[in-house]
Amino acid sequence: MAIEVTQSNAVMLPTLERFRQINDAFPKTGEILEHKSKGGKVFGWLCTYVPEEILHAAGILPVRVTGYSQEMELEDGNAYLYINNCSFSRSCLQMGLRGEYEFLDGMVAGSTCDGARRLFDLWQYYIKTPFHHILTVPRKYTGKAHDLYYQQVTQFKEHLEEFLGRKIPDEQLINSIEVFNRSRALLKQLYELRKADAPPISGAETMEVLNASFRMPKETFNRWLKDLLEELSKSSITHKGRARLMVVGSVMNNPEFINSIEAQGGLVVTDELCTSTRYWSDPVVVEKGESPVKAISKRYLNNFPCARMVPSDERFNRILNLVKEFRVDGVISQIIRYCVPYAHDLPLLRDRLKEVGVPVLALDVEYGTSGSGQIQTRVQAFLEMIEARKR
Amino acid sequence: MVSETKKSKIDAIIRASRLIMRMNQANPASPKSEALYYKMLTSYYTCLLNAHDEGKFIAAHTVFFPSEILYAMDIVPMHTETTTWMMALFLGEQAEILSAGAELGLVPEICSPHRGLAGAFSLGALPRPDAMLWSNLICDNTAKSGELIMEINKCPGFYLDHPFQRSETEDKYFLGELEDMICFLEEKSGQKMDWDKLSKIVQRMDHQMELFREIGELRKTVPSPFPNRGFLQLLTTDYLCPGQPEAIEYLEALRDELAEMVRERKGAVSPERFRLMTLFVPPMYLMGFLEKIGQEYGVVSVVEPLFTRWAEGRLDPSQPLESVARKAAMIPERRSMYGPLGQEALQDLVDCAEQYKVDGAVYWAFMGCRHTCATVKLFKDLLNEVDVPVLTIDCDIVDPTINSEAEIREKMEQFFELLEDR
Ligand code: SF4
Ligand code: SF4
Repeated sequence: MAIEVTQSNAVMLPTLERFRQINDAFPKTGEILEHKSKGGKVFGWLCTYVPEEILHAAGILPVRVTGYSQEMELEDGNAYLYINNCSFSRSCLQMGLRGEYEFLDGMVAGSTCDGARRLFDLWQYYIKTPFHHILTVPRKYTGKAHDLYYQQVTQFKEHLEEFLGRKIPDEQLINSIEVFNRSRALLKQLYELRKADAPPISGAETMEVLNASFRMPKETFNRWLKDLLEELSKSSITHKGRARLMVVGSVMNNPEFINSIEAQGGLVVTDELCTSTRYWSDPVVVEKGESPVKAISKRYLNNFPCARMVPSDERFNRILNLVKEFRVDGVISQIIRYCVPYAHDLPLLRDRLKEVGVPVLALDVEYGTSGSGQIQTRVQAFLEMIEARKR
Repeated sequence: MVSETKKSKIDAIIRASRLIMRMNQANPASPKSEALYYKMLTSYYTCLLNAHDEGKFIAAHTVFFPSEILYAMDIVPMHTETTTWMMALFLGEQAEILSAGAELGLVPEICSPHRGLAGAFSLGALPRPDAMLWSNLICDNTAKSGELIMEINKCPGFYLDHPFQRSETEDKYFLGELEDMICFLEEKSGQKMDWDKLSKIVQRMDHQMELFREIGELRKTVPSPFPNRGFLQLLTTDYLCPGQPEAIEYLEALRDELAEMVRERKGAVSPERFRLMTLFVPPMYLMGFLEKIGQEYGVVSVVEPLFTRWAEGRLDPSQPLESVARKAAMIPERRSMYGPLGQEALQDLVDCAEQYKVDGAVYWAFMGCRHTCATVKLFKDLLNEVDVPVLTIDCDIVDPTINSEAEIREKMEQFFELLEDR
């Protein structure tokens, strides 16, 4: 039994359709090609610790490097990264080796996890994008860690300036902060709508919006998202499920996966994914007298943490807050095979959720999975268990 | 008090190493260094066994951890990975501890030493530490292992953050981390840092590093005097006893024996037919087999660039903490297993092949170790460019059920044939 939608999906909101078209054209979206045709540079970035504002302020279009939102043949990815690196990093490399990211003028990563850092190493060696940079990202939130990260972001900015042969002025950075904060605020509004008993947008649709946000200029994205919010406010479409679910775990940006859960009646109302909530959750706050670079570095290190950070409690507490705010009945943890940071956290997270009476369905997946028969069976059983608990 | 079961497990390691030590001492043909190595192991585990009875504080720590600091504070270190696997190897309990790890909810993709580690603690098979110390040197598994162990043992912990790259700011950050860790340890253990003692340890560590380099140089000789089984011994020496007199005693004896063999033009295998580079670590339970196959085919591992090739540079006892930090940046593993894989590290691999006159390389692709396997193809490409063929063997370093000795033998024999034909 699928989630109940008051109107058929055929009557798709026009802006949602536009977002979907962007994703259909991935990786060479019209917006990216247009930016290039005007002589603009496009840089790829690899994880949420890379401060996009710096790139944006330099006039560069930042594009998130991902694989396709579906499972793909990973022959080269397997050969180069070996089969025991997560299928996310192998998918990205596969696309890079196939030349599908040949439009990139630069590649920026953070030392976030083994999968990402090795992907960066091999990208640099075999794909040879003109500019490469990796930031040391501390795993702590201490004052000293913030000092280090500030130095790293400053160094990244300087490296970029050297590459471009021009300075990035503070005013540009302030402007970029505003653009990105606007985006975050709009995404927050979108998520607020999902707190309703019968939200006007499904989990899978929300993921389409997020995916598009990585693949187009933020200014355009903000305009479109504002349009979408307006359309949603006027729309009579609602979604209601057998249970309200939250998805946590490794990087995941496949709407089809969420669709496969929602097709069985599990309404995905929120998440803790680096492609979703963790991407937009915290704004950059520039304190009085503070440099924009400092404010940016502070935000990126303090942002809703990835499982790589220590202590993990910070991440767990944020998840527990979301569970409460979005009235979550059950959590689906999807961990990509060989994604060690998330796999290590699972036993502890499961205990924390158990303490508040929230069941967890732990799925071992490959990046891009759309939810196989076996996954569907397990989701089905999970939903039945939640329903039985409610009775 | 350490419970009787835990005592008996650590005791079993001690009894086993004591036995080997005595056998070596009784055998006139056995090199003196062998007995000294087992004497060092015996002493390390005896300290651990008696620690709580003697009112000492035990700090468990992950691999590549600056345990010099613990020794200087009179805190008893417990190298978690090594202790777990010594126990597994000596007592044959791999399956039990791995399944205990699985019961905790750790998936098979997590590297087996770490699954086993958590499993061993949950079974109560290791002494309960008074504190857990862990770091991101060298991988996500080490970085993520501490909190679960703290939870299992209900003990406090400190995570030591290693910056990914090197710069003045990053070095300063790491120094700050070490200072914070000392404060944590002082507070939890009631022990004070003895800076003079640390300075002496640093002085000995500096000498120890020189010894490692000298041993490395001697192995360049044709025929190479160093036996295949010695690799893990070199590793555990720095893992367990950095800057300790027992380590120096062992390494000096080993260096002298190797120098003597070089003078006499004696090789570890005779005749020496193939000189191999070992990439990553062979399965620990195969050490005896590798020794045997080496003798049969005249094959000797002459260099392990990821583990035994120490960077140049000295430590300064007048700056003990800075030196501990510097050493962390100089360990061989730091060069190509952690930090961005720059041109320098890659060039070093190629130089190594040339300097050690390597005929071929064996990459032990441990499926649990993601970041090293990610370099299999890259290293292969680089070594092939200088005409060094590479054999890749998928394996698990501690779980003998993954591949049989017979399979590995077959692969190696085919590789030796290929080397022969060249
Ligand atoms: S966090 Fe996990 S999924 Fe993401 S790159 Fe790292 S290992 Fe891969
Ligand atoms: S074997 Fe590899 S993954 Fe496991 S602890 Fe060692 S370096 Fe890390």
